[in-house]
Amino acid sequence: MIKITNLEKIYRTEEVETVALNKLSMEVKEGEFVAIMGPSGCGKSTLLNILGLLDDPDAGSFIFNGIEVAKFNERKRADLRKRNIGFVFQSFNLIDELTVFENVELPLIYTGVKSSDRKKRVEEVLDKVQIMHRRNHYPQQLSGGQQQRVAVARAVVNSPKLILADEPTGNLDSSNGNEVMQMLTDLNEQGTTIVMVTHSEHDARYSHRIIRMLDGQTVLENIMV
Amino acid sequence: MIKNYLKIALRNIKRHKGFAFLNIFGLSVGLAACLLLFIVIRYENSYDKFLPEHESVYHIATQDKTADGLFHTPGIPFPALDAVRLDIPQATTGALYASYGSQISVLGKTPNDPATKKFMEGSGIFYADPEFFKVFQYKWLQGSPEVLKEPNVTVLTQKAAEKYFGSWKDAIGQYIRMDNAIDYKVSGILENPPANTDFPLAVVHSLITSRNNARATQYSTDWGSTTSNFQLYMKLPAGVSQAAINKQLQIFSDKHYENQNSSNKRLNFLRPLKDVHFDTRFGNLGTHVISRSTLWTLTLIGVFIMLMACINFINLSTSQAINRSKEIGVRKVLGSRRKDLFWQMMGETGIIVFISLVLSFVLAAICLPFITHIASIPESLNIFTAEILLFAVITGVVVTLFAGFYPSLILSGFTPLLALKNKITSASIGGISLRRGLVITQFVISQVLLIGTIVAIMQMDYVHKADLGFNKEAVLVLTGNADSAVNAKQASFKQELLRVPGVQSVSYSSDMPSSENNWATNFAFDHKPDAEFSLYLKFADEDYFKTYGLQLLAGSVYAHSDTVRDVVVNETVLKRLGIKNPQDAVGKELRTGRGPWRTVVGVVKDFKTNSLREETKPTMIAPRQRDYYNTSVKINSTNLATTRKQVEALWDKFFPDYAFVSFFMEETIESFYQQETQLSLLYKIFAGIAILISCLGLYGLVSFMAVQRTKEVGVRKVLGASVSNIMYLFSKEFTLLILIAFVLAAPLAWYMMNNWLGNFAYRVSMGAGVFVGAVLLSVLIAWITVGYKSYKAAVANPVKSLRAE
Repeated sequence: MIKITNLEKIYRTEEVETVALNKLSMEVKEGEFVAIMGPSGCGKSTLLNILGLLDDPDAGSFIFNGIEVAKFNERKRADLRKRNIGFVFQSFNLIDELTVFENVELPLIYTGVKSSDRKKRVEEVLDKVQIMHRRNHYPQQLSGGQQQRVAVARAVVNSPKLILADEPTGNLDSSNGNEVMQMLTDLNEQGTTIVMVTHSEHDARYSHRIIRMLDGQTVLENIMV
Repeated sequence: MIKNYLKIALRNIKRHKGFAFLNIFGLSVGLAACLLLFIVIRYENSYDKFLPEHESVYHIATQDKTADGLFHTPGIPFPALDAVRLDIPQATTGALYASYGSQISVLGKTPNDPATKKFMEGSGIFYADPEFFKVFQYKWLQGSPEVLKEPNVTVLTQKAAEKYFGSWKDAIGQYIRMDNAIDYKVSGILENPPANTDFPLAVVHSLITSRNNARATQYSTDWGSTTSNFQLYMKLPAGVSQAAINKQLQIFSDKHYENQNSSNKRLNFLRPLKDVHFDTRFGNLGTHVISRSTLWTLTLIGVFIMLMACINFINLSTSQAINRSKEIGVRKVLGSRRKDLFWQMMGETGIIVFISLVLSFVLAAICLPFITHIASIPESLNIFTAEILLFAVITGVVVTLFAGFYPSLILSGFTPLLALKNKITSASIGGISLRRGLVITQFVISQVLLIGTIVAIMQMDYVHKADLGFNKEAVLVLTGNADSAVNAKQASFKQELLRVPGVQSVSYSSDMPSSENNWATNFAFDHKPDAEFSLYLKFADEDYFKTYGLQLLAGSVYAHSDTVRDVVVNETVLKRLGIKNPQDAVGKELRTGRGPWRTVVGVVKDFKTNSLREETKPTMIAPRQRDYYNTSVKINSTNLATTRKQVEALWDKFFPDYAFVSFFMEETIESFYQQETQLSLLYKIFAGIAILISCLGLYGLVSFMAVQRTKEVGVRKVLGASVSNIMYLFSKEFTLLILIAFVLAAPLAWYMMNNWLGNFAYRVSMGAGVFVGAVLLSVLIAWITVGYKSYKAAVANPVKSLRAE
């Protein structure tokens, strides 16, 4: 599903040049659950942003579903992103002005799903993450765990092929964290590919494979048994 | 999608109430100001447009070229009417002759019926010929223009007819009497002209009646006599141009006027009817003339105020943008494109503008009654007309596009990664220099208006308090007729008046010392040829000088006389004749027109003969009872009202046939400057609005800076900065902006106000004080505005502000 080769990303300011990704190559197969680990500044988030088509690489190849997307413009990236990729962030990133229902509904609006279908699908997915009873609440009225469940619901409502999770349990206590990890595992078992950046060895154990990064490169891969 | 945007927009307004309030308040005030200005400007522009074929109607104006310059009058000598018709037969020429201050007595079915009601009509009474109504195509409810061919016939408007006879249908065939002298039979009814006309017809007598009663109606067959009340209007047939007629009028002028030479020349020319309301060289028969430049100034003020409100919106929205970066980021991650976000933001601007527009109508409706007192618009004006709504919609769209474009562009351009990580900084939402530029623009506008207002207030104060050279306080002026019946009783009336407690002196005259009337003639001094300038006439009895406190420089006041014998001239006459010592003029002889020579017995110190817009005129004062229309009563009493009542009782005893009409001299002088007073009030209001809006903008900017500099303030405080240090940091910036704005505004304001002051022959000088005052006031207002926010920023806990970073 994902094949990147010799990917490079360099951040430049007037005086400093930071190599975030240094000729990185890796592959993720459809249906895999991959965890990316590494110390702060090793390039994990940069990699995830590029995988999520939020950022573009300076050099190298990125083939997504058999298409070279490294040089896509913003419009094409946005189109590809909204149809194929769901995001789960450490800080949830729900829109404060929208209710739970409306937040989850948003990706469906952007992909042009009809209003009646939207309602059905949002309700289904809210039910699945057990937050239906809070559908009319605003994010600030929810606990962190509940907010992250809404975020997961939002990420999966469009049935994306790929879910990118950036430290999804980073802001949660362990019981809420485990719940979210179980949700991701269930999704993976239903066929969704998951790439997750994490600092937590515990969370990483939910995955099939751990890619360890250092200074913009992959240094080790552990296959989980 | 649109529903979603709408939801977000309304929730945003709810969440950020402060910002929303500033935005909506600023925009509604600006829009309301624009709406009101639009109403005033549209109204002024609509004068006499109701007349069918008004585009082909022209006024025959008169211009006199003399050694002193060009003089204009809307009037033309009476005999010109027949001459124009003879010389320029291809056009239709009609005459209108206004009569001011006449008494109408309502009779009945016959002229012998006793008067049932009496009305003193200040204006609205005219004489016209049938042709006038072919040029001005009013709607006739009854009768036709032809009825005016007959003498002693009158036509009333519906309103006048109802006022006199109860119902306009009953009026036909009934009789009215004018000034207790001439009877008229009502033979036609006109539909009421609208309020936006410079021809406020109420009663229109047949012109032939005036010709037949030349003495009583001051109709003159002399080509040398011109009154601005007698005017000719022409309707050009298709295919005949204004230029062609003007050529004929040039030949006409040379043919009919005497003494035409290169330095003294009279010329008649056509000016379109559409200029009559705006051409300040001439008066008109309506209430006022307003210059097109005044209307442009008002338009410009409207545009400026709207511009300032838009600038506020831009400043406030971009500064608020940081708060919305997460939303933008999330939306982008979820697949929203820049275009979608741009239109979402524009839509939100549209919603705010729409809410403001609705509020602005409410504000405008509340303010309209006050505006009707300031501007010359009727109170009955409706603000919910299709035209005004269309204007509002267009303004709304323009404002949305203008105000929304930049913030929408900036917001929609956030990169999702930075937006999500709250890394949007002032750099990424556009340089602060742009906002500084916008604030400078606002302050330039508000300071120009501020300086303009200060100058206007000073000038109006000056004209109200100026030494007019005579005593205007507590002089009650009674206006009336000067027919022989009145003249016969004047001496005894004066005796009785002087017995009223509090009455100090009484004088009869043709005119007040200062007035807008001009009565001028050619004259010769000391048996020399005619002087190169005209002499202005005021006829008054010997008590005039005492009543108005006029001071003599040489000689004495003339002795009592009912006709002109000896005369007094003013200082200006001597100055213009080149006589240095007033004593030298006393005893010399003077004659007006081709009349007999009269002795100058006294020289009066100059007083302001007209409004302060005009220079003091060379003036002669002489006795002539047949022109004593006014009775001036100088009252020395603390209770003016009681004395006025007693005077009125006496009037009714002496002149029961005449309505009592009186006013205090001060009121007349006030009325000279009605338009300036109105304008200066308008400027005051709109300068106030401009300052208010720029303060809102400043408040927005300082709020933005407070957010932006939270970390800086925190670090500074950790390092030991005090509250006042921080407040200085904030106000320093704005003070500098105001000073830069001042450098731009001062010359602009000076130029504008210098032009305005040019309207006055007597005016204040714009000293440095005006400018210093304006800049100090701006700085003070800005400090007050900025003070609260910068104080809040300064007292914030540095630990908190640093953690926020």
